[in-house]
Amino acid sequence: MLLQRIFASVLLLACIGLALMAWPYQAAFSYEPVGPRAFPLLMLGLMGIALLYMVFRPAPIKHNPDEPPMDRETLTKIGICVLLLLVFAGTFEPLGFIVASTLIGIPMARLYGGRWLPSVVIITLMAVGLYLLFDKVMDVPLPLGVLDVLEN
Amino acid sequence: MDTLGYLGQGFGVALSPYNLVTALCGTLIGTVVGLLPGLGPINGVALLIPIAFALGLPPESALILLAAVYLGCEYGGRISSILLNIPGEASTVMTTLDGYPMARKGLAGVALSLSAWSSFIGAFIATCGMVLFAPLLAKWAIAFGPAEYFVLMVFAIVCLGGMAGDRPLKTFIAALIGLFLSTVGIDANSGVYRFTGDNIHLTDGIQFVVLVLGLFSISEILLLLEKTHHGQEAVKATGRMMFNFKEASAVFMVNIRCGVLGFIMGVLPGAGATLASAVAYMTEKRIAGAKGTFGQGDMRGLAAPETAIGGAACGALVPMLTLGVPGSGTTAVMIGALSLYNITPGPLLFQQQPDIVWGLIASLFVANIMLVILNIPMIRIFTRILAVPNWALVPVIAIITGIGVYAVHATTFDLFLMIGIGIFGYILRKLDFPLSPVLLGFILGGLMEQNLRRALSISNGALEILWSSPITFGVWVLTAIMLLMPLLRIWRKRSAAQRAIADV
Repeated sequence: MLLQRIFASVLLLACIGLALMAWPYQAAFSYEPVGPRAFPLLMLGLMGIALLYMVFRPAPIKHNPDEPPMDRETLTKIGICVLLLLVFAGTFEPLGFIVASTLIGIPMARLYGGRWLPSVVIITLMAVGLYLLFDKVMDVPLPLGVLDVLEN
Repeated sequence: MDTLGYLGQGFGVALSPYNLVTALCGTLIGTVVGLLPGLGPINGVALLIPIAFALGLPPESALILLAAVYLGCEYGGRISSILLNIPGEASTVMTTLDGYPMARKGLAGVALSLSAWSSFIGAFIATCGMVLFAPLLAKWAIAFGPAEYFVLMVFAIVCLGGMAGDRPLKTFIAALIGLFLSTVGIDANSGVYRFTGDNIHLTDGIQFVVLVLGLFSISEILLLLEKTHHGQEAVKATGRMMFNFKEASAVFMVNIRCGVLGFIMGVLPGAGATLASAVAYMTEKRIAGAKGTFGQGDMRGLAAPETAIGGAACGALVPMLTLGVPGSGTTAVMIGALSLYNITPGPLLFQQQPDIVWGLIASLFVANIMLVILNIPMIRIFTRILAVPNWALVPVIAIITGIGVYAVHATTFDLFLMIGIGIFGYILRKLDFPLSPVLLGFILGGLMEQNLRRALSISNGALEILWSSPITFGVWVLTAIMLLMPLLRIWRKRSAAQRAIADV
């Protein structure tokens, strides 16, 4: 309940902020009665009303029976996982696809309960395999990054 | 008779060797994707969009591939619900009720093939319905102007909330989030940059694939972290793999009834497979009465939801193809794919691109037959895929998702955006918000705004145009009914509760 109230309030504040941001949107030359501002403002307005209702009357959340309650451990895990994904995004171009995916794939496999040796072997093979599959077979260009030297 | 001629032409397209191979690959990929936890039809289809584009597939082949993946995913989800008792997605919850008990009785193979058969009949009925009604609807839809389209889309959004049942407000908020997100980027009419924060990567708006994969894949990866029960033992599929004639004829009437029901539910925007399967199961349970063994492995209880899902999945393609208004998350993704090819689905598609429309319809027949046939030799391999542990699976999903996003524009900004959207999606899911309305809102948002502005340009700003024609007025009435539905349901529940108290 409290979480929902907080979430709805934060989203409501975001709505107001975005509406303020949208306020100056005016077309320099307008050929039509409805400018670029009306539609986003309408959506934000409706969303604001719905959120306001939610702040005061949040609906109870139905939990799956097999869903464990959130604890500190899960939260840390989620934090680490997000961090790994961010590292992936950050190193994707500079280090190249193969290095970046091995770099984050192995800790990620460990995070989900894999053992060291199988994780290292499978993730490394997979990174190389996926690179070959997508870059060479399917024509989806992927950056080679630091492994660029091997190409020539 | 025109229709039959076109259908023949469609089969010509679908049965060309190239497209047959495409459909085969699609069904195989789809089945595997549907099997894996964390990947459903929506991410399966979305992941393949950039790849289909990069491969340089012609539009009709790409669409056939995506439709085949869609059907395959539905089938793959069935395997995990029957053998593991874990529904891959909301629509297959009903399948587990009787499918898993059947598997426990040693009829796993029969249950799987029977579900494939039921789904095939459902899809077959729905495809026949599509052949009959889609051209009519398309002809009628040409009379639609911008005002009518705008009202229709309002109806589609409201339908989502009205049909969702227990949480209309959250569905509504989710749809509005999607509608708002569609306005990010440069405004095509006036050239004003909206909500870009001077970021050059947002000029083009949020990429569709980025949104889908962030919302569905990344949030699922985070959700999988808290699942502790991985490595669950699957029921071994041994013994007879194929259902026999007696079993098929025992459920035949169920198939027919639920197929028609599924088709109708699929055509309605917002209802979709989840509701269709639930209604089909409940109806059949009531028809069977006390004689049925529903919940303990009754074949009818397996056939009913499966037929309805098959029917609804194909029925959902009707509003997408004829009106360009998607009715479900997956069809929304397909519209996204079509727009990559610069094809706008709508009534004119039937006249301008008959190859695409009828090729797609014919390939649905083909893909359904393929699934039934594939089931028999492949089922042992598929069950082995179920045993892949999460630790090997999740990093691969994460990395493939990354590739899919990178393939669209080749910028790492999209990767960061995807992670951000993923975290947001995770929070939404934890707070019990449905995610597919966000997607539908995102797809409909651009269309809705354009049509609203066009309509008001025609009338020079007078709002009457939005309700003056008979079509718009009728749709507004339907919208009002849909808005009242959840209220009515709450009221009925409350009075039923009061009666229960009075009885005691």
